[in-house]
Amino acid sequence: MKLKKLTSVLLASAMVFSMAACGSGDSGKEASDEGASEAITSIDQLEGKTIGVQTGTTGDIYVTDEFGEDSVERYNKGFEAVQALQQGKIDAVIIDNEPAQVFVSENEGLKILDEAYTEEEYAIAVSKDNTELTEQLNEALQALKDDGTFDAIFDYYISGEGEAYTIDESVERDGQLVMATNAEFPPYEFHESVDGEDKIMGVDADVARAICDYLGKDLVIEDMQFNSIITAVQSGKADVGFAGMTVTEDRLKSVDFSDTYCTARQVVIVKE
Amino acid sequence: MDMSFAERFAFNFIDDKRWTYIADGLKVTLQITFLALLIGIVLGFVLAIVRSTYLKTGKLKLLNLIAQIYITVIRGTPVVVQLLIIYFVIFGMVNVSKILAAVMAFGMNSAAYVAEIVRSGIMSIDDGQFEAGRSLGFNYFQTMIYIVLPQAFKNILPALGNEFIVLLKETSVAGYIAIQDLTKGGDIIRSRTYDAMFPLLTVAVIYLVMVMIFSKLVNMLERRLRNSDH
Repeated sequence: MKLKKLTSVLLASAMVFSMAACGSGDSGKEASDEGASEAITSIDQLEGKTIGVQTGTTGDIYVTDEFGEDSVERYNKGFEAVQALQQGKIDAVIIDNEPAQVFVSENEGLKILDEAYTEEEYAIAVSKDNTELTEQLNEALQALKDDGTFDAIFDYYISGEGEAYTIDESVERDGQLVMATNAEFPPYEFHESVDGEDKIMGVDADVARAICDYLGKDLVIEDMQFNSIITAVQSGKADVGFAGMTVTEDRLKSVDFSDTYCTARQVVIVKE
Repeated sequence: MDMSFAERFAFNFIDDKRWTYIADGLKVTLQITFLALLIGIVLGFVLAIVRSTYLKTGKLKLLNLIAQIYITVIRGTPVVVQLLIIYFVIFGMVNVSKILAAVMAFGMNSAAYVAEIVRSGIMSIDDGQFEAGRSLGFNYFQTMIYIVLPQAFKNILPALGNEFIVLLKETSVAGYIAIQDLTKGGDIIRSRTYDAMFPLLTVAVIYLVMVMIFSKLVNMLERRLRNSDH
């Protein structure tokens, strides 16, 4: 008899709890119904909508500040946010422009709003204890800009012209440069099979290769979650964080940044 | 980081009311765990009764086959993969609450383990108990419910407690489907403050305390049930 009582209590509380679960908080966060019928055409319409972002990216930080905690859905990966958008689970995704272009071109029924959400500048994160490396990186970046290597890499990955960077085999190397990145962010860093071998390609990866050629170091790439990169740099597990990272006040409290190497935009992806 | 301990604490938890990520996350974790636990118990007991009825009497052949396939598939795949399948594939085109998807994933996962635990309990009860029940005029299911299961439950309580501790900790992967549970709450703070130590240790301690409270409750229940032995 005891068991029967126990089960009935459990079942009753299950019902109460599940109703509470449906009613509380969560329902407000689902993609709003009108979002499905009435297409979003401008940034003003994002108010009150559910916006997907990748945890810890500047998109995440801006959306949380502007639209509040209840409108953000934080995915571990940018493409998962895009997938959720496609399945109608959220109303929009805010992400960097170049990955957005790739996601939109590879998925039907999505488009990018003409108006950019924000503009920002990418730089390389370096530990505060390693100012020497920051100076070396700045020097290398300048040299690569001057000799056109930089433009060539951008032309290849962003406009699709020319070829990927080829490592200069004649350089004498001494020591390593460990680069922490999150290789799920095309065209800045992504996995690609090159001659049957898995490699991390992209603007950041090739610029890092060119920097290593300039500094005479071996490049080691560590692929990790985006929000672990700064911690990795801070704790010395990686020398640089090179992952399309925007310089922000908060990040400057924890790490130093090199000079910025490109301007990027945060854009809004919505359903067509 | 050139901040004192107190400053780092304030930066991680007080500034921008960051502690709310932890508090809200804790609520979500508890909610998912509790609901998943209920599904796990109910479904697990049903599966176990089907399996042991088949083993003892040879009846319910088809149901037993289904239960066996279910247990094999669920135990054979990682819970995080199951969670992603439920969210992105099974509920791919329908917009259900993420919490529901998580409760289903963790509940169904737990049920497979609970089923085997309960089955081991039922099988451990002497056949004489069944025979005694039948000779009192109970039918098979009455015997099961009134005589066998209460005794089995007492034997398997430690193993069940163990399973629920695992379940509680397993819900930490809920962040994969954008649920802000306790672990994800800590991760969000980490992504804002770039401090690994405070958020991670806090989250760890909260899990530990929850598990300790839960173990205590299981112990109390165990002692209570043991009283009826005399």
